[in-house]
Amino acid sequence: MGKVLNIQPVSRIEGHARISVHLNDAGNVDDAYMSLMSLRGFEKFIEGRPAEEVPRIVNRICGICPWMHHTSSNKAVDGCFDVTPTPTGHKLRELLQVMAHINDKILHFFFLAAPDFVLGPDADYSVRNVIGVVKAAPELATQVVKMRQLGQMMIDRFAGKAIHPIAAVVGGFSKPLPEAERQAMLKDTQTLLDFGLFTLDFAKNNVFNKYLDVIGELGVIKTGFLGTVDRADGSFRIYDGKQRLMKPDGTYVDFEGDDYLDYLGEHVEPWGYGKMPYAKSWDEGFSLDLENPKGIYRANTLARINVCDQMATPKAQEALEEFRSAFGRPAQATLLYHYARLIELIYACERTLELLNWEGITDTDVRAKVEPKAGRGVGIVEAPRGTLIHDYTTDENGCIEKANLIVGTTHNIGPMNMSVKQAASALIKDGNYDQGILNKVEMAVRAYDP
Amino acid sequence: MSGKIRLNTDWLCDCGGCHVAIVDLHEKILNVLESIEILHCPVMTDVKDYPEAEIGILTGSIRTEHDKHAAEEMRKKCKTIIAFGTCAVYGGLHGAGLAHSREEIMDHVFKKSPTTTTDTIPTVEVTELAKTVTPIDEVIDVDLYLPGCPPHAHFIFESLKTLIENREPRVTQDSVCARCNRQMIKGDAKELKNSLDGVPDEKFCFLSQGYMCLGSATLDRCLAPCPNHGVACTGCAGPTMQILTEPYRDIRTEVSDRMARLTAIDADTIKTYMEKTAKTQYAYAMATKMIGNKPTFLIKKWIADVEAG
Ligand code: SF4
Ligand code: SF4
Ligand code: SF4
Repeated sequence: MGKVLNIQPVSRIEGHARISVHLNDAGNVDDAYMSLMSLRGFEKFIEGRPAEEVPRIVNRICGICPWMHHTSSNKAVDGCFDVTPTPTGHKLRELLQVMAHINDKILHFFFLAAPDFVLGPDADYSVRNVIGVVKAAPELATQVVKMRQLGQMMIDRFAGKAIHPIAAVVGGFSKPLPEAERQAMLKDTQTLLDFGLFTLDFAKNNVFNKYLDVIGELGVIKTGFLGTVDRADGSFRIYDGKQRLMKPDGTYVDFEGDDYLDYLGEHVEPWGYGKMPYAKSWDEGFSLDLENPKGIYRANTLARINVCDQMATPKAQEALEEFRSAFGRPAQATLLYHYARLIELIYACERTLELLNWEGITDTDVRAKVEPKAGRGVGIVEAPRGTLIHDYTTDENGCIEKANLIVGTTHNIGPMNMSVKQAASALIKDGNYDQGILNKVEMAVRAYDP
Repeated sequence: MSGKIRLNTDWLCDCGGCHVAIVDLHEKILNVLESIEILHCPVMTDVKDYPEAEIGILTGSIRTEHDKHAAEEMRKKCKTIIAFGTCAVYGGLHGAGLAHSREEIMDHVFKKSPTTTTDTIPTVEVTELAKTVTPIDEVIDVDLYLPGCPPHAHFIFESLKTLIENREPRVTQDSVCARCNRQMIKGDAKELKNSLDGVPDEKFCFLSQGYMCLGSATLDRCLAPCPNHGVACTGCAGPTMQILTEPYRDIRTEVSDRMARLTAIDADTIKTYMEKTAKTQYAYAMATKMIGNKPTFLIKKWIADVEAG
């Protein structure tokens, strides 16, 4: 009889997941699954609610990236009510969303991923965590905590709540940005940018170089990619733009968010609550076969870094050039998600500065006039975990009639399953495995930051 | 490690926000780590089982067998259990699952969605959904309750310190209004406004201006960020103690009476409006028996009335 190894919960990730590895009689991997354990059904319970309330409700889909749900939902309701936010309202939303990205990258890299790298993947599980990092590198840890605080407080002060935000509203933003606060944010963001640059250097020297072999092997699969780019010049974007769907060979199509139904489908397997999006427009169906996957693309940091033509800010562009000359385009190695995440951290800091320096940012015309009505709107933003799609239809009272959601993480469920299977098959041989090996299987998932 | 207070945390059916809120004690988390040893905590550590501990923090509500099992294990191993966050205390926002059967939800998500191209409902490797969402104290005994979605760092730190120092918590039972900077005045609004009607004056209470705000019916565990940043309170920290303990007081009776006194709108008009929009007004607390068992709370009837037109 074979045997099933369950890793539950998959830890130091931001969702509820389980890995099960099925071994055959000889102790080799027959199959491996990563399944998401929770289902709540927000699509259903926002039905009938006034659409303008929904951007505060859907935050609760994810407490790690609530800003992204908040902004994409607002964009979708703008679409339903056929309203264009004022230019300042638009930019304030982007500002807050980009700031939230900064904080998320810091959280993910240092609190969730770093223990594997700072302490090593084989370190004893009882110390392999952020508390272990605090002990091993107390100064760095204190610095990290301070930076996360700086970032979260910047949001808290201006927008009231960093977790489960309320300040973006249909038609724009709920309040203007006072000049004094703009000044304070500029100063804090400069500090965060410096820290971001330090982090990238630190990671290049202490992580990516040291673990190059692991990067080249662990969880590596070949897929396409999905992200958002600037409508005009194909630059990296996270708040607004067109969608770009790239094939594994690097060729791509661009499309407007409103048309996503023509390009993306979702496949359900009986073994998990996560639906698996795939590229319907490639007309090749859906398969997770490691040798010959069909319809599989990935989202999240590595995907965005692969699909964009360039970064729209100077330091991030420098980092991208270095990355591309080392790993090519599209880069496929799963652990490069961590590297790509830090390039995004630099972008997010630089973009925050850019937005704060935009001349209209303190304008008081933050909110356009809105009338509830029947319509449809698709709101797409890039969440840390991937392209986030909110698609609503409203009735004549402006209440939600139906809704469809594709949450960032789900794009990567198919690929995560492939990476888990790849990693497990490569690491577990003849029934031999230990703590370190099982943690490495988890690391293949952790890179995606589900 | 001896001498430190041991802490387990676990998340059940939730959004993860409460765990982020713990991490976001920021510099204080470093203080906390001086006196507390964190054992099981899925966002931070790789401890997969449940070691013995003095404190157990549970976030989220019960939706699956797995959730139930985790809550029971935590209860066995931890001396003091804190129901942390609105989901744990009242069922939270996905308590709205109450208004829809699990079959409806599964069908909608896995079959009716316009992107889904398969016709499969997951059945293996998953733990089945329970019929409804329940707050954790319907499954295990809870020692301390800390609602909030998520609770503000101020309250989290106070409750952890309370346990470290072995004393009574110093928290008030004020409503959100107590921390709100807006002034309640008698206004002349004759009609209820929806949040899209114009821009409310930031000096005065939303109710005085004819806008719905649940602040007066909501326990302050957040320091009132919403009304102080331009938007009304939607009650995410759950109802005040008065509402929970008195059978004939309820969110809508409480708010409609107050609003009627502050405007020229009649209390019944407000009450009827709140019943029609019950899914929004009771969004966070409808799964708790403390609300659900009230003779005045008829959410299924209100929803049916709306659907009947
Ligand atoms: S109470 Fe709010 S923040 Fe906490 S887990 Fe529930 S939804 Fe998330
Ligand atoms: S009802 Fe709302 S606006 Fe009025 S005082 Fe209370 S919290 Fe503030
Ligand atoms: S909605 Fe009300 S209870 Fe929730 S954070 Fe805002 S003010 Fe506090």
